[in-house]
Amino acid sequence: MTTSRMLAIVAAALLASGCAGGAAQSGTSGPPRDGGDLTFLIDSLGDTWIPNNSAISSFQGHIWGHVTDKLVYVDEQGTPSPWIAESWDQNADATEFTLHLRGGVTFSDGTPLDAAAVVANLDIWSAGDPARGINPIGLFPKTYEGAEAVDATTVRVRFTSPTLGFIPTLGYHGSILISPKSLALPPDQQADLSEDIGSGPYVVESWKEDDSVVLRKRPDYNWAPAALGHQGPARIETLTYKVVSEQQVRTSSVVSNQADVAYNPSPKELATFKAQGFTVAAPRYLGFVNGYAINTKVAPFDDVRVRQALQRGVNRDEILSTVYADDWLPAESFIQSNVPGATDHRATFAYDPAQAESLLEQSGWAKGPDGVRTRNGEKLAITLHPNPYLATSEAIDELVAQQLRTIGFDVDIQTFDVVTYGERVKVKSPAVPAYEVTRSFIDAGTVGGVLTDANKGEDWFNVQQSDTRLVELATGVAGASDPAARNALLDELQGYVLEQAYFVPLTQIAQRLYLQSPRVQGISYNGVAYANFYTAWIS
Amino acid sequence: MDLVNPGYATYALRRSGQAIVVVLLAYVFTFVVISVLPGDPVTNTLRNPQNGFTEEEIARIVAYYGLDQPVLVQLLDSLTRFLIGDLGVSLRSNLPVSRLLVEVLPSTLVLAGAALAVAVVFAFAIAFGVHYLPRPLGPALRAFPSLFLSVPNFLIGLLLIQLFSFQLGLFRVIDSDTGVATFFAAVTLGIPVSAQIAEVLIAGLDHEAQQEYADVARSRGLGQVRLLVRHLLKPSSLPVVTVLALTVGELLGGSLITETIFGRTGVGSLVQRSVTTQDLPVLQAVVTLAAVVFVVVNLAADLVYPLLDPRVHPRAGAAAR
Repeated sequence: MTTSRMLAIVAAALLASGCAGGAAQSGTSGPPRDGGDLTFLIDSLGDTWIPNNSAISSFQGHIWGHVTDKLVYVDEQGTPSPWIAESWDQNADATEFTLHLRGGVTFSDGTPLDAAAVVANLDIWSAGDPARGINPIGLFPKTYEGAEAVDATTVRVRFTSPTLGFIPTLGYHGSILISPKSLALPPDQQADLSEDIGSGPYVVESWKEDDSVVLRKRPDYNWAPAALGHQGPARIETLTYKVVSEQQVRTSSVVSNQADVAYNPSPKELATFKAQGFTVAAPRYLGFVNGYAINTKVAPFDDVRVRQALQRGVNRDEILSTVYADDWLPAESFIQSNVPGATDHRATFAYDPAQAESLLEQSGWAKGPDGVRTRNGEKLAITLHPNPYLATSEAIDELVAQQLRTIGFDVDIQTFDVVTYGERVKVKSPAVPAYEVTRSFIDAGTVGGVLTDANKGEDWFNVQQSDTRLVELATGVAGASDPAARNALLDELQGYVLEQAYFVPLTQIAQRLYLQSPRVQGISYNGVAYANFYTAWIS
Repeated sequence: MDLVNPGYATYALRRSGQAIVVVLLAYVFTFVVISVLPGDPVTNTLRNPQNGFTEEEIARIVAYYGLDQPVLVQLLDSLTRFLIGDLGVSLRSNLPVSRLLVEVLPSTLVLAGAALAVAVVFAFAIAFGVHYLPRPLGPALRAFPSLFLSVPNFLIGLLLIQLFSFQLGLFRVIDSDTGVATFFAAVTLGIPVSAQIAEVLIAGLDHEAQQEYADVARSRGLGQVRLLVRHLLKPSSLPVVTVLALTVGELLGGSLITETIFGRTGVGSLVQRSVTTQDLPVLQAVVTLAAVVFVVVNLAADLVYPLLDPRVHPRAGAAAR
């Protein structure tokens, strides 16, 4: 990757200097108007277009969000509201849900989006089709038992145990409604985007693999979620997503008015763009914060005092001011603060180097002449593995390494590309004391499923079920049937995980960044931080 | 010139046989190299922590793609398909490999062709300039080839974009397929190639100009330009053909960076994506294609040689220069 890195550095120097003088066109925020074309420059268009297999891609989600609808809309605060499902009810223990669908909705191939179509989609989300190489949606509740069409607009869905997360999950970026005709196609045809028919406000006009996708608005679209405050067809005529892999070429194109939106500008440059009159957006998604899940089986992190020292040795304000711009927030818990049920536990893990050092002293780690602590001749060492899926991860880890060195840790950073990372860095691996987490989810019920190995959980901290308190809280959150009771448990769970220092939070994540021309107005962002141009117009 | 003498036929046959072996070896070699690397595109994608898949789910999908089979079984499988003309399906995009190639080839051929044209024009212009421009201009031009060679082409590309797109607005980076955008991309790609051609051509012209026949022509009162066009150019072009054949590889390789900078999709960008995602079927197809192109171009160069210089005979012995 040396070439691309060199490219990036030179490009940054050249283009930034040349474009510094550029300024945005006057951004008059007039009334909404119809028409116009929008160009969105994107780093990549991801891999496959098989709907289930591509649904988690940070890139393809932009296109799916415009060509497909979902059953439920989830806003930036994680609040679900009606969309294709006009309303829903559930039984007392949250094991059976009934969805009441909006009538008269059609896919762009003319197929009705009715109960049968919804059942076909639910089935493929939950199980995929291994015989055709189609994945399930990873975060779809594993408790799914089945669904049936009661009549044309009513779907009944059953679960093997209480699943409060079901309704919010319907607004997750993976839960996109696709025409049953498309779902029945063989994978190599589903991989052709123009064969993937949705019911959204835009239809695919043309596309070229990893080059561009052109969407045209659907004139008869009339079933937008009420939460968006706009009904009927979209306003902008066409949306063009064009791949420009060089970050600086993307942003310079917007600055020189050649394009309207650039995806993923550098966080450090946002302030400059703002000063020039451009709009920058860094919507937060719902999910875990960026931080380390600690492997409690790796010495010395089996000692809670060492884990706590690690937690208190990290200066989060310094990370925010060094790596990020003003739009970033410090972590308040190990889940993002906009997740419903997230509570503020900053006091538990606040930066306190003096306390960190005394915790290490207490557990027998004495500082040597070189500043590194040792115990019985062994060094207090930790290896960090920057997460290749997060662009700023390496810079953060380097800073954390400096901070931890001052309290006596011997820190090693091992950086791998995506391929090697997937092979070498795994949660619970003895070689990985701190697994760097960044993951979105839409409902806090997910949290209960990753903390222990109860119910095939991911067991992030390698505690299996040895910590009975953790198991009790986690399974309580995962299997709760009453939202209020769950929130109380969730608060306790967050406090407990952080007190035990199983998780070292760093910062909240704004993974999707946008640089926008001021002539684009009225963009909305959903709970997973995708820009929605259905509501937007060009002034 | 009897191009089809028996010696030539044997030679052509042997060369074709070698070519097929080279192509097959390239195919197998790519497979082995990619296979020894850890991971595969399917697991790499599934293991993205954003996915939240269980090991069981991952194993099922990996089995669908046959990636859990022993490497030898996978190789035999893929080789059998290749021999009946089936290039397989991309593991990354799930699209047929043949479709991907058909989509990217035209763009790269246009870019490489335009770059070659630009390179040849530049090279000849420099070579003529060196010989016929008055001092100090002409001799100063001699520095250009090494200058062109030492400036990395991504730098040239970024400068061209900065000046002609962002400043002068001659083309939009996002309309990468338009004539103007293609021209600037071709200049970016062609400049380093032109340097190599120019160097060889200048050396050739220097050499030929000192030959006795040139002196004779001059003494007959032939003008500089006519001397060049009539007498010097043809023998000086001989090594240029060899260089041209070699630069085909450079054009394909260089197209990666140029395509990235100018936002073009082509063979280069396809290779880059396939390498980073270990998309084996696509890589095998592209490497094989590159091997075919190389073999064909070199064969063509061998055939053009005797046309430029009658002293070269396409007999088995003589052709193995």
